Amino acid sequence: MTASLPKDPVDVIVVGSGAAGSNMAARLAEGGKRVLILEAGPARGPGHLISSTLYARRVKWTGPPVLDEGRNPVGFVFNSAYGTGGAAMHHYAVWPRMHAEDFNMRSQHDRGLDWPLTYTDLATYYDAVQQEAGVSGDAAKEVWRPIGAPYPLPAVPVFPQGNAIARGFEKLGKTVAPLPIAVTSTDYNGRPTCLWDGWCDSGCPIGALANPLTVHLPRAASAGAVLVNDAPVTKVLTSDDGTRAVGVEVALKDGTRQTVNAKVVVLAAFAVENPRLLLASATPKHPQGLGNSSGFVGRYIMTHAAGLVYGLFSEDTRPYMGAFGGQLVNQDSYPKTTHAKSGAFGSYQWMIAQAVKPNDLLGISTTRPDLFGTALQDFMKRATRGFAGMTAVCEDLPVADNRVTLTDQRDVHGVPIARVTHTTHEESVALWKASLAEGKEVMQAAGAKEVWTGPPGSMHIMGGTVMGTGASNSVTNTYGQVHDIPNLVVAGPGLFPTSAGVNPTFTVHALAARSAEHVLTTWQKVAG
Amino acid sequence: MLNTSSRREFVVAATLLTFTLAGCSRKMTPAQARASDVPFRSLDTFAVTVLDALGETLLPGSAAAGLSHYIDHQLSGSLADSMLMIKYLGVPAPYTDFYLRGLRAADALAHAVHGKGFAGLTHEQAVGLVGKMAGGQVEGWQGPPVGLFYFVLRSDAVDVVYGTKAGFEQLGVPYMAHIEPPSRWGE
Repeated sequence: MTASLPKDPVDVIVVGSGAAGSNMAARLAEGGKRVLILEAGPARGPGHLISSTLYARRVKWTGPPVLDEGRNPVGFVFNSAYGTGGAAMHHYAVWPRMHAEDFNMRSQHDRGLDWPLTYTDLATYYDAVQQEAGVSGDAAKEVWRPIGAPYPLPAVPVFPQGNAIARGFEKLGKTVAPLPIAVTSTDYNGRPTCLWDGWCDSGCPIGALANPLTVHLPRAASAGAVLVNDAPVTKVLTSDDGTRAVGVEVALKDGTRQTVNAKVVVLAAFAVENPRLLLASATPKHPQGLGNSSGFVGRYIMTHAAGLVYGLFSEDTRPYMGAFGGQLVNQDSYPKTTHAKSGAFGSYQWMIAQAVKPNDLLGISTTRPDLFGTALQDFMKRATRGFAGMTAVCEDLPVADNRVTLTDQRDVHGVPIARVTHTTHEESVALWKASLAEGKEVMQAAGAKEVWTGPPGSMHIMGGTVMGTGASNSVTNTYGQVHDIPNLVVAGPGLFPTSAGVNPTFTVHALAARSAEHVLTTWQKVAG
Repeated sequence: MLNTSSRREFVVAATLLTFTLAGCSRKMTPAQARASDVPFRSLDTFAVTVLDALGETLLPGSAAAGLSHYIDHQLSGSLADSMLMIKYLGVPAPYTDFYLRGLRAADALAHAVHGKGFAGLTHEQAVGLVGKMAGGQVEGWQGPPVGLFYFVLRSDAVDVVYGTKAGFEQLGVPYMAHIEPPSRWGE
């Protein structure tokens, strides 16, 4: 791909090169459209993905500052990234599907929001994307899994850490299955088999993990899409009557701005930058920001609370082996009212036996932040041999006041910086506590000689540009088209009206595939 | 097209961190920078003295591993290149003031409790104060949130001691790199 902005209009501008942006860019380019991908961050290739927990931090967000506030901040820097591939460049590729009940929570349980589509509407897109990305798993053993095609790749291997924890689930009559993960368990489409060395968080340079560099950006490039790095979009430009997007304004390194025109603009800059751009692009026709006639832009920001449970075993668990996302899954607690007696509402799943390194935010040392000095040294030696951990992905109920807003401060390009405020709903807090109680029980049943838990870390960011049935209840329709401006399309987890109890990236891809198909099949109407 | 070199066959481009010594830029590890007495750029002598003492209490061996030079190096470079854990923790950049205020507060705590600076404390006294910091509640603390400061500094110490190839080897963890990190910090 080249690295200069075109002077002439293009068919589609895609803002962001992460999971959603790369997927849409590939499909739209393969559909014959001239696609320009604008990535705010620097160019990154496989050679930048150094196997180091320290160097991995260079991949994370270093764009305009984001004020991360509220009682339970979303952890923006850790959960995002800056540069080619976006956050998906270092994601852990745990790709379970959402369940049918995730889509109608408001009508079924009087909680949260309803999606304007159903699981059935997405099922075939999940099937298509898993084939492209190469998802490993065992559909038959996932007894909770909604209907869908079997995985194209066999299940990931289970190492001693996984076997140790599985023992606990089985003793309690619970079920485990191989974790569905977009990492190659065998060679696939020219990609080598994973080595199970746990460097996913640093980014996978060998192509075993399905990040944008591996799957969709090469497809986009082959179809003629152009990716320009270091090209931060400062504003979405609209027509005088405010009914159409006409392009974007890009900040150049010399301090000037350049306008690039397009027939369709896709915002795929993640759950905080998308609403920031919509709000910062206000015009006299859209005084509260684009797509914000009812004040929904920025609202319903969600993040999964991580239920972190750890155990120390007598056996050598080899906890550094496997994928960073884990080896096994359990979704027994998926029905929304499973833990209602504890005051909890929502779903969670367990990601079991995640590969760990000695240091970093998710490393062994950080599981016991109270230890220091010789006690820490002793713990590190013991835990390296017998450590095991698992993480509950706890659903976060959507709350309107959890939101992205603009501040009075401005970034280097003069665009207001974002504030993200998030405080977890009390029923979601109760769900997180219920996950810890269950997790401790599992570890004890597994025979762990020490069991402990962690604080509610924030995983993933969703919402902020939620989809719905109309401008009175949402920002976009089911295809991500902004209600008031149909050729302005939002892509990514920001579209989610509820967070579900599973990792979001697979659903991000399924939605993007569906949106791209819709844009192509209705091109004349959308592009005008 | 994406160049997916197969499996673990990436060429190692080994470069160390760049420190400036006697006007010359040299690649070296933080431990080597410490041994070479490389001048500090962001931390003053007082801060380094407290930092080394705190680091040794948090994780013995961290001072010799070059904790102070590592932090100074990271604070003196660009945010994009920073590898400090504090990036994840919601603290607005730049971070130098966070460290300096925290180190001053720790030293002031030592004076208030024991009548001498942190670097002059006995091992038992230092352990006692760090234990209070770990608890997150220290009366009269005048710095960044004490629990956060403890967590940040502890993470830095762990990074320089265990977050390297040498640190992994010390624990018996196979490193299994696809692309080797440029520096073997902690040697």
